[in-house]
Amino acid sequence: MKFKLQHIVAAMAVATTLVSCNNDDDTTAVSGTGDAEIFFDNSVNGDDLLLNTSAYTNSNGESLKINRLNYIVSNFVLIAEDGTEVVYPKENSYFIINEGANSTTVHLEGMPAGNYTKVRFGLGVDQQRYLQGETAQQSFWDLAAASELTWTWSTGYKFINFEGTFTSPQTDGEKTFQVHQGSNTATDNYREITLTLPNTARVRTDETPSIHLIADANVILDGATKIRLFDALNTANTGAAIMGGQGLIDIANNTLSMFKVDHVHNGAGDHHEE
Amino acid sequence: MYTMEQAIIMKSKCLKVLFALSCLLLVSCGNNDDYQAVAESNNRLAFNVPSNFPPLAQDIEYNYPTEKGFELGRKLFYDGRLSADGTISCSFCHEQGYAFTHHGHDFSHGINDQVGTRNAPAVQNMAFQAEYFYDGASNSLEMLSIVPIHNPVEMAETLETIAVKLQVDKEYVRLFSLAFDGSGVTSGNILKALGQFMTMMVSSNSRYDRYVRNEPGGSLTAQELQGLGLFQAKCATCHKTDLFTDSAFRNNGLPPNPNLNDLGREVVTGFTTDRYKFKVPSLRNVEVTAPYMHDGRFGSLQSVLNFYAGGVLYSSTLDPVLNQNGTLGIPLSQEEKDAISAFLKTLTDTDYINNPLFYYQT
Ligand code: HEC
Ligand code: HEC
Repeated sequence: MKFKLQHIVAAMAVATTLVSCNNDDDTTAVSGTGDAEIFFDNSVNGDDLLLNTSAYTNSNGESLKINRLNYIVSNFVLIAEDGTEVVYPKENSYFIINEGANSTTVHLEGMPAGNYTKVRFGLGVDQQRYLQGETAQQSFWDLAAASELTWTWSTGYKFINFEGTFTSPQTDGEKTFQVHQGSNTATDNYREITLTLPNTARVRTDETPSIHLIADANVILDGATKIRLFDALNTANTGAAIMGGQGLIDIANNTLSMFKVDHVHNGAGDHHEE
Repeated sequence: MYTMEQAIIMKSKCLKVLFALSCLLLVSCGNNDDYQAVAESNNRLAFNVPSNFPPLAQDIEYNYPTEKGFELGRKLFYDGRLSADGTISCSFCHEQGYAFTHHGHDFSHGINDQVGTRNAPAVQNMAFQAEYFYDGASNSLEMLSIVPIHNPVEMAETLETIAVKLQVDKEYVRLFSLAFDGSGVTSGNILKALGQFMTMMVSSNSRYDRYVRNEPGGSLTAQELQGLGLFQAKCATCHKTDLFTDSAFRNNGLPPNPNLNDLGREVVTGFTTDRYKFKVPSLRNVEVTAPYMHDGRFGSLQSVLNFYAGGVLYSSTLDPVLNQNGTLGIPLSQEEKDAISAFLKTLTDTDYINNPLFYYQT
């Protein structure tokens, strides 16, 4: 942890110098620290995500009514124009996005003031953190359990818990679906995503930029790889579950394109209601 | 070579080393004095890798065992409050006298007398293993306790509820605070304490160990030596090193139990190529851990050897080691079986199964 702190301090120093030779609209050097927020606006293929409401039809012809979309985002890094990376302290860098509980914003505190052009984050829990076990400081297990993001038959975290009901052209009637994305001891399904911001995010002691991301839940099954829930139906034909095997590897790949930056607000105060 | 008694004696030595270490840390980081405070009130235990063992497979520095953490983990291991109805402790299924297995049960039974589908393996030398459970449901010594705690037929509890139950117990609050530097009864600390206890559970003082380390009391008979030779030639590809496991998942050709059709490693990975593969178990203390195999189907070592000699079933995932030149299994004469069996009994470590440090007295 101390090591990390030194990192941050070093990054701060670099970022500060950087900013001073940067000729954005700022003419004076910036110093100090500020906050940044990242808003995960959950959607489905361009439509707003409404839980337990209407069904969304994907390119496989399956219609999904979504009851739950919770996921873990982690290991946030803000990247300045010249590529300098400011790593948010790892032990505080695990967050839960829970659509049902309206918990959709990540607050990064004490970031060095500066102008940032990219953001990187992980979807899930990386192996390094996982093998370090629980830290006394952050009871992440309890938080994850409260959002149904723990796996207890094996000892890990669900990175995404995506559940609801669906209908499929290949079968009659409404069935349940459960997509539980995560790593297991055979496959590491943690992925990192880097997004370029359309305009710079300005962190100042008195200005908190808000990075507005669109998270497209449709891409989980209907992305680079098309995954049919019909193919994951149980033998009783009552529900589909994807919780292991190749499905998780395909989902990990699909989610690489699940997030897009819509816009960045700069200025003081909160920009998005929660 | 290494016993827990020695660990205690070594503590003072360890303290000095630790102190030097913490001074070093102080110098390098400059601004932290709680390392000293920890060293005074809660000593790190000595952990030595037995000279005939492979290196550790877990990085124990993340959750290094301390005196208080170990004692707390032991108390938790023996406490029924870790189950939903307060009756089932870890030790219920992992009894010390049988190298922490569930004596006399093919399937361990847990809460409300519900019966599971697997046989409880020995808990020993865990920090030297990379994968846990027959199917590798966990690969972290600190996290593995999640599985039995939440299993509906074992303890049927949740970590969060256990934390709430223990928070009202003043003694536990005190012990957690001592063990974790003033921190409270949390899910994370429960896992850590159990992890520290299991890290210290090292079995390395069987007659066989004394033999390989050339220590007093380490003599093997001619029959046992013959068995050792046969074992090295026929079994040690899988039951590797002095841990007697390679921590890999393999199909040893057991005909699937039709009542269960346990898919083994496939349950975790979802890959059909992992069907019927199970973690190679350590054979330490095997004399006292009957019944054998993931479903506890064999009652004696003799039956196990009969199986390897004549009962191995072909399937697409059968380990190639057991399918050589068209011969299934490991042909063995009765004399050879007796010799291997005699050798396996030299792996019994009475120091371990009688060690009072692993037993919690109320
Ligand atoms: C109801 C019986 C029962 C209880 C209670 C129980 N276990 Fe187990 N334990 C088992 C069984 C059965 C297995 C094998 C399960 C499997 O492989 O899927 C096992 C496996 C293990 C293993 C893996 C060993 C290896 O070599 O892979 C460890 C470690 C362990 N248990 C520790 C614990 C701890 C710690 C507790 C208390 C928190 C506990 N057990 C409670 C029955 C039990
Ligand atoms: C191809 C790898 C392989 C070889 C070779 C092998 N084993 Fe095993 N052994 C296993 C696996 C895997 C298991 C666990 C199977 C299960 O539980 O379904 C096992 C289980 C056992 C068990 C049961 C242990 C327990 O606690 O339940 C014993 C005893 C055993 N083997 C002895 C031997 C002996 C003796 C030999 C040589 C004659 C041998 N094995 C050769 C892979 C192997």
